[in-house]
Amino acid sequence: MAPSSRSLGSLERSVMDVLWRASSALTVREVQEQLEAGGSADLAYTTVMTVLDRLGAKEMVSRERDGRAFRYTAALSREAATAELLNATLDSSGDRTAALVHFARTVDPAEAAALRAALEEIEAPGTP
Amino acid sequence: MTPLLLGAIGLALALPVPALLSHAAWPRLAPAAGIVLWQSLALAAVLAISGAALSTALWLVTDPDPAPWRVVLHVLIMGIGVLVWARFWWAAWHVWSETSQRRARHRELVDLLGEPHGALPAVRVLAEQTPVAYCIPRLRDPRVVISSGAVASLDDEALQAVLEHERSHVRTRHDLVLEAFGVLHRAFPRVLRTDAPLRQSQVMVELMADDAARRITGDRPLARAIVALAGGSTPAGALGAGSDALVRLERLRDPASPRARRASAVASGVVSAVVLVVPTVFVAVPWLYHAVEVLLTR
Repeated sequence: MAPSSRSLGSLERSVMDVLWRASSALTVREVQEQLEAGGSADLAYTTVMTVLDRLGAKEMVSRERDGRAFRYTAALSREAATAELLNATLDSSGDRTAALVHFARTVDPAEAAALRAALEEIEAPGTP
Repeated sequence: MTPLLLGAIGLALALPVPALLSHAAWPRLAPAAGIVLWQSLALAAVLAISGAALSTALWLVTDPDPAPWRVVLHVLIMGIGVLVWARFWWAAWHVWSETSQRRARHRELVDLLGEPHGALPAVRVLAEQTPVAYCIPRLRDPRVVISSGAVASLDDEALQAVLEHERSHVRTRHDLVLEAFGVLHRAFPRVLRTDAPLRQSQVMVELMADDAARRITGDRPLARAIVALAGGSTPAGALGAGSDALVRLERLRDPASPRARRASAVASGVVSAVVLVVPTVFVAVPWLYHAVEVLLTR
């Protein structure tokens, strides 16, 4: 049975975790073994390969030929991925269009004090 | 006269009117109507400037003996009109492709690095101390992202307020509103625009999402959430240019009466109608008749 896209999404995460932990490039079989060792239910070889292909299309995984098989590595480390994510998140340059919509941007200390004063009034007992 | 009049209306709607209106607090009492108001202003400015360019073109080809200074002035007006239109389409394409690419990449990273949060399918928690909460709006598979640092700094109700706020952005596609203003902003050359429409529409969108959160959690959890996330320790380089936090909090502290909110909505509606209808009916339509007449009799 083909896995749904939702579970493919969580499989992608597990596969990336395996590749991020690995010290060298892994074959599909090795990824499959480590996923099963990590508690994933039986996964078909082709499913693991599909997930690796999807990750390759997203440029998260790169592969190299090793004899008759391919070996897979993470295209960027977990730290690099986190850094890229945070940079995009905290990027507040004015003229670029907001790709992300923030809940609240961090303010300077003076404004933070004004915020806390307003909050005290809102939370003061007696106000509705 | 028509090109000069339309040009003047267009420039007035592009520069002084938004600058003045951004100082008024009343449009924020009814944020949805406020967005319509700002959209109408921007649209009216584009229409007036386009009309100025069109009517100039007609005047230049039909006037038998134009004075040199009028030719210069009219060519300038037409140039601005053509420039705004060219920039408009370029900006529309650019904004759309840029944001959709950045969102797609961002969502891929979030899905690989974030943990799902409880039973909420679209929420991802990032293992990161910096307190951030935001959404990645998309037609398919949008995401609400919150860092574990933010989760830790919020009580349960405040967390719910944050999630409801972001889900409201995603549900009502506030990103489309912001993109429309982003395109209009870029359509006008730097000397012919103010930041007011884009900034004010960002504020209005936040106020609308706040209202959605208030309906679920009430005012106080939302207020705590705003202060926790905006007033937290400052991560280097994360200072937002201009902040809506104080405006949002002051609205929770001094809520407007229903009557004031209705009055605000009505005022926004009236101003929107005036800026769109008056130039059209009194300048554009008479000119159109004139244009048809001139072109048919030639």
